Amino acid sequence: MSDPVLSIRGLRKAFGPTEIMRGVDLDLLGAERHALIGPNGAGKSTLFHLISGHLAPTAGTIHFDGHAIGGRTPQAINRLGLARSFQITNIFPKLTVFENVRLAVMRPHGLAYTFWKFIDRDRRVREETHRLLELVRLSARASTVAGEMAYSEQRSLEIAMTLASDPKVILLDEPMAGMSNEETHYTAELIMEVTKGRALMLVEHDMDVVFALSDRISVLVYGQVIATGTPDEIRANASVKEAYLGEEVSE
Amino acid sequence: MDQIIVSLMNGVIYGLLLFMVSAGLTLIFGMMGVLNFAHASFYMLGAYFAYTLQGVIGFWLALVVSPVLVGLVGVVVERFFLRRVHHHGHAHELLLTFGLSFIVAESIKLFFGNFPVDYRIPASLDVSAFSVGGAQYPLYRLLMGGIAIAMFVLIYLLLTHTRVGIVVRSAIYKPRMAEALGHNVPLVFMGVFGVGAALAGLAGAVAGAFYTTNPNMALELGVMVFVVVVVGGLGSLGGAMLASLLIGVVTSLAVAVDRSLADLFALFGAGDWATGVGGLMTLKVSSLSATIPFALMLLILLVRPSGLMGEKG
Amino acid sequence: MKTGLLLILAGVAALAALPFLLSQGLLNAAIQMLIAALFASAYNLLCGQAGMLSFGHAAYFGVGAFGTVHAMNAIGGAGLLPTPLMPLAGAACGLVFGAIAGWFATQRTGTYFAMITLAIAELVHSLAPHLKGLFGGEAGMSTMRMPAWGFDFGSTTQVYYLTLAWVLASVGLLYLFTRTPMGRLSYGLRENSHRLRFLGYNVHGLGMMVFAISAMFSGIAGGLQVVSNESANYVVFDPALSAAVVLNTYIGGVTMFLGPALGAALMTFFGYAVSDLTQSWLLYQGILFVGVMMFMPSGLTGLIGTTGRLRQRIGLSKLLPVVLLSIAAALLLSMGGTFAVELLQRVFSQDYRALARLDPGNPWPPVTLLSRAWSPASMATWAVPVVLIGAGAVLAWVGRRSLNQAVEQTVDQGAAT
Repeated sequence: MSDPVLSIRGLRKAFGPTEIMRGVDLDLLGAERHALIGPNGAGKSTLFHLISGHLAPTAGTIHFDGHAIGGRTPQAINRLGLARSFQITNIFPKLTVFENVRLAVMRPHGLAYTFWKFIDRDRRVREETHRLLELVRLSARASTVAGEMAYSEQRSLEIAMTLASDPKVILLDEPMAGMSNEETHYTAELIMEVTKGRALMLVEHDMDVVFALSDRISVLVYGQVIATGTPDEIRANASVKEAYLGEEVSE
Repeated sequence: MDQIIVSLMNGVIYGLLLFMVSAGLTLIFGMMGVLNFAHASFYMLGAYFAYTLQGVIGFWLALVVSPVLVGLVGVVVERFFLRRVHHHGHAHELLLTFGLSFIVAESIKLFFGNFPVDYRIPASLDVSAFSVGGAQYPLYRLLMGGIAIAMFVLIYLLLTHTRVGIVVRSAIYKPRMAEALGHNVPLVFMGVFGVGAALAGLAGAVAGAFYTTNPNMALELGVMVFVVVVVGGLGSLGGAMLASLLIGVVTSLAVAVDRSLADLFALFGAGDWATGVGGLMTLKVSSLSATIPFALMLLILLVRPSGLMGEKG
Repeated sequence: MKTGLLLILAGVAALAALPFLLSQGLLNAAIQMLIAALFASAYNLLCGQAGMLSFGHAAYFGVGAFGTVHAMNAIGGAGLLPTPLMPLAGAACGLVFGAIAGWFATQRTGTYFAMITLAIAELVHSLAPHLKGLFGGEAGMSTMRMPAWGFDFGSTTQVYYLTLAWVLASVGLLYLFTRTPMGRLSYGLRENSHRLRFLGYNVHGLGMMVFAISAMFSGIAGGLQVVSNESANYVVFDPALSAAVVLNTYIGGVTMFLGPALGAALMTFFGYAVSDLTQSWLLYQGILFVGVMMFMPSGLTGLIGTTGRLRQRIGLSKLLPVVLLSIAAALLLSMGGTFAVELLQRVFSQDYRALARLDPGNPWPPVTLLSRAWSPASMATWAVPVVLIGAGAVLAWVGRRSLNQAVEQTVDQGAAT
């Protein structure tokens, strides 16, 4: 099909004597939705940290869109077109929801060091911010202080901020954590909608969502990918069942 | 050559003194994440308490009682001030300790006057230990160094070989886990804070008699301690020791150097030009000795921002 | 919003009218208050807005001051710029030095950052006495204001209006800055600089620029002081000045834009008013600061917001007694505390101890306070502050209780409906 937009080879990460990532090989194809599942402590968040620049690899390579990004700074990687959300909500708590999203929207419009214009006057930024708020159903909360919202609403805010830079690759780290069924359903549809034409890597524990949403699934256990394939292939894979899924999926 | 040996010894001892104060600061920061701006105030209080007690119970007893008093002050500060504002965040705590250090300095000026006090080592200790190159080396300097080393060894043994030490280390590393295991973590925090304060107080009691005891000593030393912590890497006792000794030795050696940059240029025949430029060029290194630690700090920030032995990021 | 604008216009008008209302001495004090207000607002950009606590901000004020004094003395005393534009020299020096210092300081964050700013300030402070060409040594440097644009700048009134113009313009610019993208980003720096990285921002560069801008306005304040005092001395690099701006800013409160400015003006005014009456003014400032940090974290101006919100919650009739109790408690505590400190100050002063030694039969001669003689040996003397503080504490406790009760009642009412 297409060339992988994100290509990971032999990725290792050690903290002192402890190896968290033990040689991961993974390909993310452009415009595919790829879920990453695995037991707690398998290293899923660590993998996201390594890809997004929060951590530097101890060994191995990460290639994004032709660039080697292993060890680069988070801002450089984001500017290349890769955005991530966080497992623990990482917003600007004392600013309003509108401000939160606007901060994310400003950079793609080139407005970082600008001190000679008023931001309120910029129509493009304002409209883009409203569009994103509309998308995640937070328009009514635009003037609410972000830290005072319900947890699930904060997760939606996270997603909006991640989408703001119109990225080629989106990494979503448990976006639906703490959401009700209805909210999960809406967010799943939202994710389907906004990731059209983009590559998505998703960490989620809700298996229904994972199996409904993904084109492919990779299973991460103890810092290694033990299986990659379509949902059906993973469902049928014996070692995956043994390592992780247990009784839940075997009808 | 002898001059260099004397300077080296002075530098090492000053470095050990610096370490006594910065060790407490590093421990407390590692444990509670709060940088106690008032830590050097404990140093000052130690000197002033010892000065006050010296007239009443004698020098040696004052050296013992004064740190205990300072430790009590530390406990009070932690329990009644820091704990109350803990939930407001680190910046708030930092500001509070800044305010407390300000109050301590002004209170000292209130009770003792805005000038140095006559805190001196007793005549019995004011002797020389040995002579180096014709000059006498004061016994008291060796005493200061000895006390510092003894403290270091004691703390190390306490932390690594006793039950209390293990509990403290676990509270520093994983406070919630330690609490879940039934240890009274708030009590541990209070205790470590008190001990850290007492350490600084001891340093003050010991050093104040030799160097000067005045209301500005907290600020003067405090800035040095911060430089130590930035250079050595916060959270690393080893880094604090290394940085303390480095700063102590470099400062001490610099004081003995009566040359300037112009003299260096003279080696290459550009001496007259450099002297003509004036300003920084003609400043003697000895005059600049106080500023060298800051230059060192800026250098570290350029080259290795996490400190000599700190963790990255 | 409208009331805010009206208040500001009224304030500006009042400030403009001051030279007609005040004596020359008080007008001088007003100039110092304006300068302190500008310095605090510049400082607040870095610390209240961007969340970067600097403990060495006097360095940029001082660099601006010396830059201005050199500019004023340049060309044989004629000055590099016309007098009204002199603070630009302060701005330029503050900006450049701030950019360099900021590059170093913003390599780290949080408490590290604070330590580095302190060390940079101390570096300048210890270096300055040695660089006599730049900083003039013990005596400092002096200069003279040159006539320009039809004014001779000889009178305090003219200097006042010059200072007022610059302070209003600078504070205005600082306010407008908060409405620009970089201004909003500085709030982001405070709230979550980590996240900003993942949104593609160069956090180090942003921090450095905010630092430089804050230093620039601090330099303007320093320049204004030189224009007003016609002198500069390296004492300006003293940690006390850095401490003062921190205290002023937080006593005023960082939640309102004008909080630090008002806090600085108030503290400077008090400094003038009471410095003849007491030697312990700095101690009072410190105690006030710690009190604010412990009990009123959003500062004195934050009280306005808090009171407004309380009024909405519990109504005026319930709020009024609480407010009165609080004011009474504050007064009693201040009176008692001041009495105690003044008493102690006199008893421990050099003069008193000398006096006490003169007459061994009378080891505790009386001290003078409020034009009366008080004997330190008598219980009655110490009873005064104890009673005052005790009464104040009781009132504070009663006030707090009625506030809690009133709030609980509102909650119950809300639950009932």
